Order: sequence, then structure tokens, then C-alpha cells
Amino acid sequence: MIDSALKLIGSGLENLATYLAAHILLCLLPAFLIAGAMSALIPKKAITKFLGRDRPKYISYPASALAGFLLAICSCTVIPLFAGIYKKGAGLGPAITFLFVAPAINILALSYTGQVLGSDFAIARLTLSIVFGISIGMIMATIFKQQDLLRDQNSDTLFKGEASMSWPVITFFILLISLLIVGTTPVSILKQTYFQLELPFTSAYLFQDFLNQLIPFDPAKGEEGITVQGACLIGILVLIGLAAWKGIQPIFEGINKWTWVAVSLLGATLLFASLGIMPHSEGVTLLINGKFIGVTCITFALGWMLKKKFTEDQTRDFLWESWRFVKQIFPLLIIGVFTVGAVRTLINPQWIQSLAGENTISGNLVGVIFGVFMYFPTLVEVPIAQMFLDLGMHRGPLLAYLISDPELSLQSILITASIIGKKKAWVYVGLIAFFSIISGLLYGAWINGMSLGILISCLIAILCVLSLLLTRFKA
Amino acid sequence: MNTVNSEPTLDIKILGPGCANCELLNKLVKKAIESSSIHAHITKLTDPSKLLDYDMISTPGLVINNKAVTSGRIPSLTEITKFLQEATS
Repeated sequence: MIDSALKLIGSGLENLATYLAAHILLCLLPAFLIAGAMSALIPKKAITKFLGRDRPKYISYPASALAGFLLAICSCTVIPLFAGIYKKGAGLGPAITFLFVAPAINILALSYTGQVLGSDFAIARLTLSIVFGISIGMIMATIFKQQDLLRDQNSDTLFKGEASMSWPVITFFILLISLLIVGTTPVSILKQTYFQLELPFTSAYLFQDFLNQLIPFDPAKGEEGITVQGACLIGILVLIGLAAWKGIQPIFEGINKWTWVAVSLLGATLLFASLGIMPHSEGVTLLINGKFIGVTCITFALGWMLKKKFTEDQTRDFLWESWRFVKQIFPLLIIGVFTVGAVRTLINPQWIQSLAGENTISGNLVGVIFGVFMYFPTLVEVPIAQMFLDLGMHRGPLLAYLISDPELSLQSILITASIIGKKKAWVYVGLIAFFSIISGLLYGAWINGMSLGILISCLIAILCVLSLLLTRFKA
Repeated sequence: MNTVNSEPTLDIKILGPGCANCELLNKLVKKAIESSSIHAHITKLTDPSKLLDYDMISTPGLVINNKAVTSGRIPSLTEITKFLQEATS
């Protein structure tokens, strides 16, 4: 009994160690910073000006998808903006597109998916979410055309106005995105070691030995264990948390010296995570690779811009929004990752393989149903998906699950129903389930070796049949 | 609400569905009111459709005397104090 409990905890800790390893931090930290910058530095009017009711469809639908990607990182922005587009802006169709795209492809989920499950998976999640988001929006607009005309026809000042982004902000975004790319892309120019440093710290080797005993691992099973570097990174993360609590939590009362302590520690974490560190019996070898050089340059440029090029308001809003996302998402992610690691030992791989081991309609349906009935906090869906993948789930049904999970939870269905009415909400839910299954089937077929040309023709054929059915429905 | 005082009472509304940023705005406004000794009545509106009445599409929203002041961002303590002073003068 105690033995099996210990085994669960051990498995949970091991999963946590894997997820806090250097390469995951180099993906997650920049992603949190990008999310914070999007939320704080993009003037909302720069995008919402394309969502007024007199905009033609070929502008309002793509703009809705873009708004879902850029503006709606937090669910508290999604609902007001959705209600605004529906009642006072471009109408039901674009509003639905926005509602669909927003949770599916936020920057955090997308970069995390790419890092953990592979970039082809992230690209499939991105493109299929946009294509189907626009399709579902247009279908809803066609089905409920009559009702849409009766909407409130009053003032349309909400989606007017001009705004654009300043050059420092644009440069800052480019730097942040390059940080994410340099930190996570495994190309030889970045992986190659240019020179080495030997440090005579023999204690690092003993520490590694101790860590290996604490969390046993098996490289043959793809388990990474925990390295000295990983353990130090966890330590610095805790320090960042403490400094942020004193320097960023009360930031609206003024920037203080703890603010800059937190920012410097964050920079140090990025540099340390990109370094190659090899403890051995005589000391530690530091590998200065391309990744480290790139990350160092970008980190210093970002710090300089934050301190010298931004107004105090911009610096404050950016730091606050990034910190808010970390505070809101990171604790849940840690609990989620630990739980997934523990639960994994209890699931028999055969169950998963018999339910969704093949790319069939029923397999994809299983993925969608699991996504609808389970509700996981943002990002936790990714370690869960990886667990299913390890247990033998086919990548097709896995994508069906990943697309439907953030879209459909009981809570979001109820909020949607309160704004657009029950009937429309259930049609919307049905469409999401249908398109998630189609996404899974298409991606699964691609994994099984079907050519991209045939798949795109299939996709176009499905959309054509749907639009034919819709014109019948209207008449 | 001290009506005996000659200063008018400000009517402040904070709009948002109870997310972290709306709570923070509420806290900052209270702090600004205390430090500038202004009389004010704060109402929290959590219904998303109320937001549209003030032509706002993002939270948190700050409304002083029925005039939308900011939306979609948190103003700093000094900024809020300035809004309050402008509204009372």
C-alpha cells in the first residue's frame, strides 16, 4: 500500500522534473513574456477597428481570427469582446469565429504544444483551428441569418477609431519571438558548441549523484530524470517568484528595486537554461553553444529596451500582465503535471489503444467526448495529451481531443448560451464536435502517410458539401 | 457617504466579471480615494452586457460619474488620483 503510494508520488515528481527541465523553460518563459506583451502592449483598437458591422466579410472573418489569437489570451477578455462583436459589431459569424479561435490557439498553448508534442502538431492545431473557426462562424451566420438582422442597430462607435503600434513595441515583439525560436529550435548552428569552460566544482558531480538517487530515471524509456542544471533552475524560479511578489505584485504603486531584481533574475534564468552543463568527477564543463550566445544577446537587448526605450506605463503593464499569467497558470500547470505523472501509472495502455489506438471515426469521437467532459486548466491539456500519446493513442484522435478540449467545457457553453441564446449555443457545440472529429481524421490520415494534396482536396470537398447543404437549408 | 460635507460624492463604477485585474483596480481606486480624502461610492458591475452600455469591449473598465474613463487596462495609482481630482474640481 505504502509502496504503491510512493510509486505514484515518485512518478509524479519525475514528470514534474521532466517538465521543468531547461528546454521546457526556454519555451515557457518566452511564451509567458509574449503573452504578457500581447496583453499589455497591443492597442486593442488596432484590431477591433476591422470588426465593425459595415466591414466586408473577407476582412471581418480573418480579423476575428486574428483578434482571437492576439487579444484574447485571458478568458476575461474573451466574453466582453465576443458580446461586443455580436451585439454591436460585425455580427454573429465573426463573433463565433473569434470565440472558437481564442482558446484554441493562444500563444502559450501553441508554443507549449510545439515543444512537447512536435511542431507539426502545433501547425496542424493552428491551421485547422483557423480554417474551421471561420467555417463555423460562416455556417452559424447562414443558419441564423434572419435573427442576426434584428440585432441592436444603434450606434457603431465601439469599433471605430485609429490605433497603431509604435516601433519600440514592434521591435520588442520581434525580439521576444526570436528568443522563443532561438531557445527552442533544434538546428545545428544553435546546438553546436563553440567553446568550453572547465570549472573545478566537484560538488556538482556529487549533487548529480544525489539527484539520480532521489529521482531514478531510465533514458531508454525517454525519462530524463533531473539534472544539476534543472535543480538550480527550479531554485532560481522560486527566487524569481519571491522577488516578483515584492517587486511586481505592488507595481501599480510604483516600480521599486525588487522589480529590477525580479527582471534580472529572469534574465539570468534564460541564460542559465540555454547553457550546456556537464558535471563530471573532476568538475563541471560549461558548453558555450549557439543557443547560449543567441539567448544572451536577445536577453540583454530586451532588458535594455525595457529600461531605456519603454515608457514607465509600458514597462509596468508588460511586467504586470506577464506576472499575472504566470500567477494564474503556472501553479495549476505544476499541479496538473504532477497529477498526470502519478495517474499515468494507473492507466492500462491497452484501454487507450483499444479505444483510440487507430485513426477511426469512433477513435476520434472518443477524443472529442473526453475533451468535452473533462475540463483542464490552460496548458494542462498538453501534458495530458503527451500521456495519451505515450500510452498508445493515435495522433489523429489526439488532435481531435486537443482541439475540442479548450473549446468545450460546460462553463463556457453556459456563458455562450447566455449571450446568444440556448439554440444557437447547442448548434455551435454540435459544429465544434463535428469539426474536431474531421480535424482528427484528416491529421491522422496525414500521419498514416496520405499525401497533403489529397487531404486538402478532402477538406475542400467537405466544406463544399456543407455549403451546398446550407443553401438548401436556407431555401 | 458623507452628505453634510460640501464636497460632492463621486459615483464610481468598476466593470468586469471579477477577474484578477478588476479586483486590483478596485483595490487601487479605494487606495486613491483614501489618500486624497474624496467622498465616493464604488459599485462593482460584473454583468458583461453592462460593459456594452458604456461602449467598452474589454475589462477592467472604470466609470466615474457615468463617464467611461479607462477600459482594458489598469491605470496607475497616480493616474487614478488625477482622474478623481479632475472629477471633483
